[in-house]
Amino acid sequence: MTNNRKPVLALFYCQNVPDGRKQERQSLEKKYGGSLRLFPIPCSGRLDPIHLLRALEEFADAAYVITCPEGACRNFEGNRRAGKRMERTRAIIRSIGLEPERVGMVMGSREAPKGLPEQVEVLMESIFKMTPSPVHHQGCQPCQYDEIPDEEKNQ
Amino acid sequence: MKDASRLKRVLEAGEFAVTAECGPPKGADPDVVLQKAEKLKGYVDAVNVTDNQTAIVRMSSLAACALLKDAGLDPVLQMVVRDRNRIALQSDILGASALGIRNVLCLSGDHQCFGNQPQAAGVFDLDSIQFVEVVRNMRDGGVILGGETLAVPPDLFIGAAANPFGDPLAFRAVRLGKKIRAGADFIQTQCIYNLERFEAWLAMARDRGFTERACILGGVTPLKSPGMARYMKNKVSGMDIPDALIKRMEGVPKEKQRDEGIKICVETIERLRDISDVRGVHIMAIEWEEAVADIVEGAGLFPRPDTDQA
Amino acid sequence: MITAEQKPIDEIREMIAPYRRILVVGCGSCVAECAAGGQKETAMLASTLRMAAKMHGEEVLIEEMTLDRQCVKEFVLLLDDVIDTYDAVLSLGCGAGVQSVADMYPEVPVIPGLNTEFMGETKDQGYWTESCLGCGDCMLYYFGGVCPLARCSKHLLNGPCGGSMDGRCEVDPDIPCAWQLIIDRLEKLGALERLEMIYPPKDWSLKQGRGPRKIIREDQQK
Repeated sequence: MTNNRKPVLALFYCQNVPDGRKQERQSLEKKYGGSLRLFPIPCSGRLDPIHLLRALEEFADAAYVITCPEGACRNFEGNRRAGKRMERTRAIIRSIGLEPERVGMVMGSREAPKGLPEQVEVLMESIFKMTPSPVHHQGCQPCQYDEIPDEEKNQ
Repeated sequence: MKDASRLKRVLEAGEFAVTAECGPPKGADPDVVLQKAEKLKGYVDAVNVTDNQTAIVRMSSLAACALLKDAGLDPVLQMVVRDRNRIALQSDILGASALGIRNVLCLSGDHQCFGNQPQAAGVFDLDSIQFVEVVRNMRDGGVILGGETLAVPPDLFIGAAANPFGDPLAFRAVRLGKKIRAGADFIQTQCIYNLERFEAWLAMARDRGFTERACILGGVTPLKSPGMARYMKNKVSGMDIPDALIKRMEGVPKEKQRDEGIKICVETIERLRDISDVRGVHIMAIEWEEAVADIVEGAGLFPRPDTDQA
Repeated sequence: MITAEQKPIDEIREMIAPYRRILVVGCGSCVAECAAGGQKETAMLASTLRMAAKMHGEEVLIEEMTLDRQCVKEFVLLLDDVIDTYDAVLSLGCGAGVQSVADMYPEVPVIPGLNTEFMGETKDQGYWTESCLGCGDCMLYYFGGVCPLARCSKHLLNGPCGGSMDGRCEVDPDIPCAWQLIIDRLEKLGALERLEMIYPPKDWSLKQGRGPRKIIREDQQK
């Protein structure tokens, strides 16, 4: 029996990630239906574990952050701090039996910069392969999501 | 006087003193102690008994000293401040004296984390220097800490330990001075392999008049193997073992290594005897008490002088 | 400041297991400074506990609140308005904070979420070290501002011991030998001769001699 519920990714991203303005954001959220919720933040260094935890607690099966490339953070160390906090968040969710892969960080590349839509597409592919979070699905059989329907991919 | 410290009598007679070490067993069998006593009897002037060394639970030093006393040896009661507060320490001093024990060595003790009771509270109510002073005041002033008088003061020859190879060298002079001012009658040093460095330390002590106020006994430990030498060099704090010595041990076939270790030990003692102001040797042959006899004989220190004649 | 670290989550869950309505109470002072029980950490722990409860199908209400100081009666009283809603409090205060709340509301089980550790300093971001034992008779003047009681593993007053090597403590090479620090400091201050003195045995009665201590100041009372 397959689960009809779609997975939900909470994606935080540094406002300096290309093509992440309001228009692109709204269009991406529409494209993925309820599976993608985008949260722009002034700097990835501002990301606190609590943001990721609350997302996982309330609605998300996974919570990720996109940071600027190494050395390119306008606030110098913002992206490095984000990395350390990511590790802390992973340790916290691991301690209650939640898979650490449900939180993650994607660092932009200086040589081949990707815009938000491109990053999202790559991320959503792996999100759809993830089992539903036991926080929202306790008692259910862990199961795979359906393939992303072609009509949705082509929008 | 038979009841007095033999170690003290030997030193007062101007003889080169010999002391050795005896570790009590991890059990309640008194025979283990008596057997060790047999190996040492006649070869030494006094025997140190360690006090829960390395924070490992063993038969108490006080009990083992009482057994050695009955067996006709002159024990040196080692007391660490790690396990007992000032009440217990002063009490044990009175008890030791009552049992006829006439020598005490006041030590800090290895931290409890090293032994088999790492969850124990380390007491350290007094430190080793304060403890020396307490014992001196009990013996000479007839008072305990706080000034209350003792009905009968204890009779003890007081010792402290010194490390000529520890850090920082300049401060070691201050530390030795404090121990002697606190009342140490004799000092036993950490085992010596680097004689030049030892002589530098001794010169510093001599310059400050310490060698006249206290009897310094140089410590020696026979090496059993190059592995033991390497271990002591790398893993034990406050040791100085020259590489040349390790090479010497390595250059000898396995079955001859213990003999070589004894040989080195004997040579060290001979050199110590040549240094003025070294008043004796303290042989620490841990769990190798048989070696003591060989070392003492090899160094020409057997038989021990007869001091019973006043 | 007083430092503490959060207890393992399993231990906390075991202690709160019997309760259905839990208030997690943080403290904005020392434990916030060492990132163990401040508002942020309180929010994180509450969220984590709620997730764990959901994962195990447990029906439990877990809410959070942070007081400026959990060890001061005036702040603890702020719980008056809400305490009846809950059947237990998970306190992220230090030991003093936990007991302050427990004393105020003796009918409410107050569970400690932290292991309180030491009085110390924030040496650097994310790095705290122990520096004071609360002996009641500060001798820092004599030792150049380095406390031999708190920072020497054997709290010697006439150190160092024979285990000091390369300025490191025998217990752990990461621990500097406090006596090396004292010697170096007094040398800088030109006061090395202070160490010639034989410091007498410590008066421990000022720390533990009359049981748990208290201070009463009439000039500070209402």
